[in-house]
Amino acid sequence: MRRFILISVPYAWLLALFLVPFAIVIKISLSDTVIAIPPYAPTLDLAGGWAGIVEFFQGVDFETFEFLTSDDLYWKAYLSSLKIAVIATAITLAVGYPIAYGMTRVAPEWRPTLLMLVILPFWTSFLIRVYAWMGILGQDGLINQALLWLGVIDQPLTILNTPTAVYIGIVYTYLPFMILPIYSALEKLDDSLLEAAEDLGCSRFTAFWLVTWPLSRNGIIAGSFLVFIPTLGEFVIPSLLGGSKTLMIGKVLWEEFFSNRDWPVASAVAVILLLILIIPIILFQRNEQKQREAEG
Amino acid sequence: MAQVAAQKPVFAPWDDPKQAPLIQFKNVTKRFGDFVAIDDMTIDIYEREFFALLGPSGCGKTTMMRMLAGFERPTEGQILLGGQDIDAIPPNKRSVNMMFQSYALFPHLSVWENIAFGLKRQKLPKEQIDERVNEMLRLTRLSKFAKRKPHQISGGQRQRVALARSLARAPKLLLLDEPLGALDKKLRQETQFELMDIQEKTGTTFVIVTHDQEEAMTVASRVAVMDEGVMVQVDTPAKIYEAPNSVYVADFIGDVNIIEGRAKQISDQVNIAWAEGQPSIFKGPFWISHILATYRPTMSGCHQVKPSRRRPLIRGVYRAEISLGKTKCGCHSRQPLASA
Repeated sequence: MRRFILISVPYAWLLALFLVPFAIVIKISLSDTVIAIPPYAPTLDLAGGWAGIVEFFQGVDFETFEFLTSDDLYWKAYLSSLKIAVIATAITLAVGYPIAYGMTRVAPEWRPTLLMLVILPFWTSFLIRVYAWMGILGQDGLINQALLWLGVIDQPLTILNTPTAVYIGIVYTYLPFMILPIYSALEKLDDSLLEAAEDLGCSRFTAFWLVTWPLSRNGIIAGSFLVFIPTLGEFVIPSLLGGSKTLMIGKVLWEEFFSNRDWPVASAVAVILLLILIIPIILFQRNEQKQREAEG
Repeated sequence: MAQVAAQKPVFAPWDDPKQAPLIQFKNVTKRFGDFVAIDDMTIDIYEREFFALLGPSGCGKTTMMRMLAGFERPTEGQILLGGQDIDAIPPNKRSVNMMFQSYALFPHLSVWENIAFGLKRQKLPKEQIDERVNEMLRLTRLSKFAKRKPHQISGGQRQRVALARSLARAPKLLLLDEPLGALDKKLRQETQFELMDIQEKTGTTFVIVTHDQEEAMTVASRVAVMDEGVMVQVDTPAKIYEAPNSVYVADFIGDVNIIEGRAKQISDQVNIAWAEGQPSIFKGPFWISHILATYRPTMSGCHQVKPSRRRPLIRGVYRAEISLGKTKCGCHSRQPLASA
């Protein structure tokens, strides 16, 4: 009985905050758009009893999903999101790994301070920080002013409203999610393993490649998923920094909801996004589980 | 121990001036900031030796070993390996291998891959690597576990993997840093003999670091007792045990009773007056150091009831009988009380 109560808490949480809203989203995605409040039909009328439920199920269809395949905007947006998420994750890894590695190489008394600095940006609102990047990247932003003053360029560079700005924004925002798991994997690494590798004939570089890198693999995988998954559906960064040229599914979703007021299509976009995300989420969970087994 | 000594009575290259030492420490000093870890050390270690560095933690024994492996460089002085100064040679280029205290097995590689790790770095052909790894697996009786990962085998097996891995490259010199520290007592004793066996079979020079005096006395051909960066005594286990050159060594090696008194040389014997009104002790010269005499519990016969004919050497308060392994007649007598 006690066990039942214990496990029922997370399941209740999952049911209330994930499954129920998701069921509502699916229900909306199967409806049709109407100009009304709410802007879709049919609505499920539980007060109508069995007849109401039957009537509801007669009204739903997969029209919206068919519509998604007919317009190439959607699959282009999915593909473009995937591409941006993959590239941004790779850049974040390339930037984050050396930072995490460097953090484990400094004297232990400095590590809490450095960790603090990595987490520090979270103390300010994410939205404000992205707006700040608009000021940094803009035509008369800090970067252009600095480069003009130094005489490196004579015309201001266009960075804002390009894919470059989106990548900068994503890498900046999600860097801590990459650094922290890699750092925790590297910190556990026993220095004597590297000495053993050197003792057995490795140069410093091969020792890193044969020992440090494979042993931080779980951190790399965890970090990459933590960056990839939210980036795929990212909305704020592409809409603030990417301008109209950047096509990402999160932005499409937002426009369907708020500009078009087409809730069923927006819901269908969301459902497919979730289905796409389930694959990496499952892979991520499996990685975590394997790691736990290896440690246990 | 007497048996071990009898098995190799001729092996004493340190007494042979014609033998060239494999390792030479020449006035080596190592400082970490203000701390002197090794203080002006000069020592020769010979080929095929099983050399034990014994001392309390912080005495510099690990530093010595790490200098041999190449992880630390001497602040002053020279270390020669086979007559060659090794200061400029990085650890991965030395024909010295080390077995780490934590074993430092690569957790992501199988037992087989761990042992093959050093061989692969030598770019040997595959068949040769296979052959050598299998030979090592047989030597350490690990053939059955070749495919397992380190976390899937027991502590004793891990210890043997670490040994096999460090031996695989057939180094001139093998360094063992507290190799048996993580094993329980019974396994430790078995493994000691295994280590000696493997050392004999492979003919490798072993330098072992330990703080366990029993272990050092069992496995080593010579023992160096260290204290605060200085070698207090370097000698065979038998000599260290029977003729310690200082109270420090006597106290550190085994259980000992220390009697303070005045010593007087009478022909080839020494007479120690150690307490007013008590008979003096006569003994041979070899376990005497100035005014401190030591005697081992294993040498004493202890009688609860006063034996009729023989005069007791020392009277004491009987405290407890402690079994010391093979010799059962151990007894701890404290500083004797006059009234006892």
